[in-house]
Amino acid sequence: MNIKDIKEFVATIPYNKVSIKDLLAFEKTPRNMLLAVLIVAFLAMFVIGVAIYLKHGHHAYGVTREHPWGLLIAVYIFFVVSSTGLCIVGSLGDVFGFKDYMMISKRAIFGSIVTILAGFAVIAFEIGHPVTMLIYNVLTPGFTSAIWWMGTLYGMYLTFMIIEFVFLLKNDMKMAKYFGLTGLLVGLSAHSNLGSVFGFLNARPISNGVYYPTYFILTAFITGIYLAFIMYGFRYKLKFPENATKMLVNLGKIQGLLLSILIFFVTWKMLTDVYGGMPNRAEVGVHIFESWTFWAEVILAIFIPLFIILKDMGRNVLGMFWASMSGMVGIMFMRYNLVHDTQLKPLQMLKKTEYQLTPEWVHYLPSSTEVMISLGGLGLCLAMYYVGTKVFNLDADEHH
Amino acid sequence: MARYGMALDYKNCINCKACEVACKEENGILMGADKHRIWVGTGEIEGEYPLLSIASNTFYPSQCQHCDDAPCQEVCPTNATYYDENSIVRVDPEKCILCSYCMNACPYDARYVDDRTVTVDKCNFCTDTRLDRGEVTTACQATCPTKVRIFGDLDDPESEISQVLRERESKTLKAHLGTNPKLFYLL
Ligand code: SF4
Ligand code: SF4
Ligand code: SF4
Repeated sequence: MNIKDIKEFVATIPYNKVSIKDLLAFEKTPRNMLLAVLIVAFLAMFVIGVAIYLKHGHHAYGVTREHPWGLLIAVYIFFVVSSTGLCIVGSLGDVFGFKDYMMISKRAIFGSIVTILAGFAVIAFEIGHPVTMLIYNVLTPGFTSAIWWMGTLYGMYLTFMIIEFVFLLKNDMKMAKYFGLTGLLVGLSAHSNLGSVFGFLNARPISNGVYYPTYFILTAFITGIYLAFIMYGFRYKLKFPENATKMLVNLGKIQGLLLSILIFFVTWKMLTDVYGGMPNRAEVGVHIFESWTFWAEVILAIFIPLFIILKDMGRNVLGMFWASMSGMVGIMFMRYNLVHDTQLKPLQMLKKTEYQLTPEWVHYLPSSTEVMISLGGLGLCLAMYYVGTKVFNLDADEHH
Repeated sequence: MARYGMALDYKNCINCKACEVACKEENGILMGADKHRIWVGTGEIEGEYPLLSIASNTFYPSQCQHCDDAPCQEVCPTNATYYDENSIVRVDPEKCILCSYCMNACPYDARYVDDRTVTVDKCNFCTDTRLDRGEVTTACQATCPTKVRIFGDLDDPESEISQVLRERESKTLKAHLGTNPKLFYLL
């Protein structure tokens, strides 16, 4: 393949030419207007948040020596989990060849690209020196570091996802399958490496171990299915055609199974934490159990959606759209809890009267800057997705 | 090539905090409660008057433990945290990306963010200050009125620290985590 072929290849990627006018030419229904205003507001918040951060650095955040990871880490995880999840859902059709799911592949893979880009946009303002990272990740790689693996694999994953998407656009299903499979495998390993960022911490017994690396894959799949419902809800304005309904009902059933498995995961994690009696873990487990954010996670991300699924054996697609909204809010709590709970327990170096009051628990409250950048990430994600729906044909081509 | 470590006769500590001041002065550490390489831990006195527990009234001077198997080093994605030729765990501010992973991974709360370089900093046994000038003591050691600290080469059997560790029992903090600290608390 020479340069000319590559040029030719790129030039033949199908897309629609859109002007700003086309982008603004959406139906002016109250719902659309509200969404448009929200997206613009979120993007404005992103700009303001980033400006404050550039001026004040981490002082603009609620993070401390004892709680160095804050909301932005949770939001980053939220986005990359969404990405991995959409990649799994997208792969059902074009990689594994389940015909019913073919129709969502392009949309899901595009979603996985925009969510991970949003995640990278957010983390760039949490990592103190992102440019240094790009340089020394390559020059002096820390092979024992889970963050190194996670970051490097996610970088590769993004590349594969983009290539897969291009082949999907060109309707070259064979190449899409190869790149999709590679991307999926790299994405899954990147994602479980993200879990191991926490699992490797021997200073933090509450997170140490195999739990997070495996649970991350499960919750990614769950997140992907929630997002599939939400994307289709918007695509068809809640009036789902027959083929979409069929696929979504199936996805709903899979979701029922996955949520049930998740209940086992969470229940046994809590039970072994609390009753396993390990110092530094048991009491943290009790504290988590008593925190409202844990229950927000459980009720919004698990109970409500599972109830809706079980009520009609997954046939209530409209109900599942709303349950998926609840699910995504719950998943956000899930990510926040993971990050916060890891750092809950003070390291007990007896620094009592000197530098800090003895905190029984380490406190953290996200600052307004962190909230603005987080919502900004959401705004970026929605904006990129919206532009994508205009520029690319994200529906399955007719002859499929 | 030495293997530097420190022994602390911690029961002699009188909580005067001269070491904290000396460290800030010698190494130019910024002001602020969070910005510290060294601290004196103070347990609460236990019991109800008059049955107060004198035994509980101990001070724990502490700093980076210079672990032989340092979690902070293992997790660093760019190898900004490294063992230097004298087994001292150090941070290269050129390479540190401030991902804060090491701050989370260090079981001893020994790391903080230096606002000038906006990278992570910690005790480095005064390497770039005193040791580089050819001195053989650290600032916290030199200033201590009750001579709590003994700093030296663990690989040299004739060094004071090796002798003390041969003669007296000692413990390391959170030994069960397998970090193999090179800070020894003399019992
Ligand atoms: S005490 Fe903490 S900072 Fe020092 S070497 Fe050990 S893990 Fe690293
Ligand atoms: S904050 Fe700096 S020294 Fe610490 S792990 Fe990250 S890059 Fe390494
Ligand atoms: S050895 Fe030096 S850098 Fe370390 S705590 Fe003592 S004075 Fe500070």
